[in-house]
Amino acid sequence: MSASTRDALAANDTGSRGFFDRRRTIAPPGYNRFLVPPAALAVHLSIGQAYAFSTFNIPLTKLLGITQPASADWTAVQIGWTFSIAILFLGASAALFGRWVERAGPRQAMAVAAACFGGGFLVSALGIQSHQIALLYLGYGVLGGCGLGIGYISPVSTLIKWFPDRPGMATGMAIMGFGGGALIAAPLSLLLMNHFKTATSTGIYETFLCMGIIYFVFMMFGALIVRVPPTDWRPEGWAPPLQAKALVTNANVAVGTAWRTKQFWLLWVVLCMNVTAGIGILSQASPMIQEMFTGRVSAAAAAGFVGLLSLFNMGGRFFWASISDYIGRKSTYVVFFVLGIALYAAVPTLGALGSTGLFVIACGVILSMYGGGFATIPAYLRDIFGGMHVGAIHGRLLTAWATAGVLGPVLVNYIRKFQIDSGVPKAQAYSVTLYIMCGLLLIGLLCNLAVKAVDPEHHHRGQEK
Amino acid sequence: MAKLKLAVLWLIVSLPLAWGIWKTLQNAMKLFE
Repeated sequence: MSASTRDALAANDTGSRGFFDRRRTIAPPGYNRFLVPPAALAVHLSIGQAYAFSTFNIPLTKLLGITQPASADWTAVQIGWTFSIAILFLGASAALFGRWVERAGPRQAMAVAAACFGGGFLVSALGIQSHQIALLYLGYGVLGGCGLGIGYISPVSTLIKWFPDRPGMATGMAIMGFGGGALIAAPLSLLLMNHFKTATSTGIYETFLCMGIIYFVFMMFGALIVRVPPTDWRPEGWAPPLQAKALVTNANVAVGTAWRTKQFWLLWVVLCMNVTAGIGILSQASPMIQEMFTGRVSAAAAAGFVGLLSLFNMGGRFFWASISDYIGRKSTYVVFFVLGIALYAAVPTLGALGSTGLFVIACGVILSMYGGGFATIPAYLRDIFGGMHVGAIHGRLLTAWATAGVLGPVLVNYIRKFQIDSGVPKAQAYSVTLYIMCGLLLIGLLCNLAVKAVDPEHHHRGQEK
Repeated sequence: MAKLKLAVLWLIVSLPLAWGIWKTLQNAMKLFE
């Protein structure tokens, strides 16, 4: 019996399979593959809310005082930990559950992610209502972080299997959703908080409840419509190239073997350096533009600048990942690092020249490459390790993001504080940080250039599993 | 029918994103005022 016949029988055998069983999600013949990206987008647009968590930072410090922080209110530092815990658990859950996500299939994984992410908001709401920060950490940090990690990797290998001819574009489309999620979440959070705000409440408890339900429903919509292609499915008229490119393998490497190879750790550093450098701009964007252009950029305009960077971050994910299908993943990262070094080095000069327009464009391009780095990495992994365990391998690689998420802001804040304490004017205090970012990008460039094809002795033999 | 399903699914995910982009652009305009 052929693999496709087995799939067809499994897909029809609906009586004995649970709704979330992977076999129930196998697409029927002739299924339009463009029906699948909306499922991935539904999940990524939801979990991308994480980028907008800072919207809650100030209101959460005024839960008791309402108009201004009371002495018993949570501090900004305490609240800041919530996001850090979430990012830490994003990396940990993606690494730990990657193999399970591959086995269970995207529907089950997306449903679990929906339960964790939506449930995380509900537990946090309880913490906000009872003013127990441990529940906020447990809810948004631990539970929500697991939802982020599982949700982030769940559609990746499915999309790569549906779009073997354009894996960069396909994963770029989904991961673009993660960047876009913040664009929705920021105004949505403000809208809900304003709606529920009263003279005796900041309205955050109700906002968290609503967001938990909205995100659960939206992510479950993704889980319900997602489909996996039958085994050995190929787009009509497309065949894998007989002569594989140097860095694009037709073989597979199992996740247990992949993470022991040199290539995995080179790509880990590549992602980590790209993300650390991007976060350097992102985390300081608002004060940076205000201090570099003193008196010319208001706080409201700086908020607009941050929003604009989010747009570049989102657009870059689709643009660069799609471009990588044509110029190759390695070349795409060479562009990120070389152009990145040039732009990071130019930013202090553009600030000194007082050219707001050029400064905004330079930062926008930098952020587009930050997003592009995230979106291109799944296709890079597929090229190097094959598609068999790409979701699980991607999950383990995301620990680089968790590391950069902690390393980036710490590095930037520490250097900046050291500079200001040493008497450097605020407007110039960013220069050293930006030049250090150039150094990090150089490390990333060297690691990227060192990436070679995996030794055939690591290739998986026998049936895909 | 299949094309309608495709359009509806893409619309469901595109509308919130379009709203988010619109709101962000409105804010970003302040940078150039």
